[in-house]
Amino acid sequence: MLTVVQSIINGLMIGGIYALVAVGLTLIFGVMGIVNFAQGEFLMAGMFITWLLNKWLHLGIYPLFFVVTPIMLLFGWGIFRTLITRVIGKSDIYQILLTLGLSIFLVNGAIMIWGPDYQSIPNTVKQAAWHLGPFMIPVARVVAFLVAAALVVVLEIIINRTEMGRAMRATAESAEIATLLGINPRKTFALAFAIGIALAGAAGVLISPLFYVYPQVGGLFNNTAFVVVVLGGMGDVTGAMFGGLLIGVVEALSATFISLDLAQLGVYVIFILVLFLRPNGLFGRSGS
Amino acid sequence: MLARWGTRGLVVLLIAALAAIPFVTDQQYLLNTIMMIFLFSALGIAWNFIGGYAAQLSLGHAVFLSLGAYTTIILYTRYHISPIFGMFVGAAVAMVAALIIGYPCFRLRGPYFTLSTIAFGEILRILLLHYVNFTGGANGLLIPYKGQSAWNLQFDSKAAYYYIVLFMLIAVYMFGKLITGSRIGMYLQAIRDDQDAAESLGVKTHNVKLVALLISAGITGIMGAMYACVIGFVDPGSVGSITMSIQIALVAIVGGVGTLAGPIVGAAVVTGLTEATNSFFGAARTGTSMTLYGALLMIIVLTRPAGLISLVELIKWPKKPAKANVEVASR
Repeated sequence: MLTVVQSIINGLMIGGIYALVAVGLTLIFGVMGIVNFAQGEFLMAGMFITWLLNKWLHLGIYPLFFVVTPIMLLFGWGIFRTLITRVIGKSDIYQILLTLGLSIFLVNGAIMIWGPDYQSIPNTVKQAAWHLGPFMIPVARVVAFLVAAALVVVLEIIINRTEMGRAMRATAESAEIATLLGINPRKTFALAFAIGIALAGAAGVLISPLFYVYPQVGGLFNNTAFVVVVLGGMGDVTGAMFGGLLIGVVEALSATFISLDLAQLGVYVIFILVLFLRPNGLFGRSGS
Repeated sequence: MLARWGTRGLVVLLIAALAAIPFVTDQQYLLNTIMMIFLFSALGIAWNFIGGYAAQLSLGHAVFLSLGAYTTIILYTRYHISPIFGMFVGAAVAMVAALIIGYPCFRLRGPYFTLSTIAFGEILRILLLHYVNFTGGANGLLIPYKGQSAWNLQFDSKAAYYYIVLFMLIAVYMFGKLITGSRIGMYLQAIRDDQDAAESLGVKTHNVKLVALLISAGITGIMGAMYACVIGFVDPGSVGSITMSIQIALVAIVGGVGTLAGPIVGAAVVTGLTEATNSFFGAARTGTSMTLYGALLMIIVLTRPAGLISLVELIKWPKKPAKANVEVASR
């Protein structure tokens, strides 16, 4: 029983990170209908920027959060303006291939510049843990989880309560009608994409104490993020958050009770079942 | 008519020239590189049946490749069955997998289909890693070399493999020619142009796509078996990874989606690029060739979505107007 609870705690903590990466992905899909195959690579970029700034400026990981996230926002905006904007409204094959090409480019560009080796950012939170009765909760994971949850809540508020969010929702419904209502769809798309990328970058900072920094780290999160997004219903921010937590728990439980190398298998099987049985997501409203 | 015979003569000359290469040089490295181009050309043509002609973007072809490769090796090393038979069993296994994947997947469209092919690819990779007793796990399986024997498809020189793979490529190409000219080929093009319109005209789109995937998987399985024989070794990291799936798709996309000659151009460019960067930058700068792949893929998508082969059509002598197959929309 104790192991079950400990597994669930571990699962929820990493699930928060999955949720953060997936929320960015689902926001981009929801607003402009593009599946970003490079989402995990933006997380990697966030980690590398954290690593570099830590080396140059000797700032701690958590202060850097407030530097790296805006940088990633700008990075996302730049990528949208140079690449993504050209495939808006085109066949989804082109959209997938473009972001796939970007993903390959970013991973291997990083390998070219910094080599494929594992780097780590010196920090003190890595070992720290709280003991809650018989359970152990690593501090870095709690911080990651809480910040991730806070960011998702803020995003929910932006989408549902602000003028900017209304513009995003209107553009998601129909870019043409949104234009008639005086909304600039390109601007809204750029904003949504930049926010989605910034969230991935933020996730990158938050996991820096927990994971090694290396060019292929995004691969760990890419497929999981797709699974979470489909699970939550594509384009559904709240769904992605719960999907992230659920996948984290499923993964942790199957790693504990079935076997470590099959942990991902359960995730993919659930993914395929959801895709076939409930294509609108586990918590999905029917119809799209 | 003259142009037609001109093209045909050119193809015959090209094949003759390729067949003559092993007589001119015995540089094993060069022969090996050209052979890999043949192999990936055939894989690209196979991918094109589903990815190009039917416009269903599969990023899971490593499934069929590794099933073909693993089946052949396991049959050979455990049961002493010649790879010549083994590769057909491998193809059959790949086709069964195609049925299992395709039947439910083709109800999905657009990004959903692509995502589910990735998921199936990952599932197979995890299983290959897990069942160590059967697949060798992460270490993979080795074909023990038992001396030259045509029966076991084992040869001392690369030239023998070179001819076998060249022959297979020609066979796959001819088969592709046959298919695209047939009724099923027409159906596929109709699906590519507009799936709903095709359906409303009585094309059973689900079944047609399934047949295309079966053909594609079967050829990929056979080529996978040949790949295993040539390399003499398989492991999940090389044949079963998403990188392999992407590489197969890349060959077709760079060369020309939905064309037969496109994948050959694509394979030559992609393989040439890899070898050139590897010899230029050496092992010190790993990732260079893949970075260029990524850039190439983006450039192709943004500037020449019909692939490099569309450049050739620009300089071709005047004949009947070139088919406009720029649009590969799946909607």
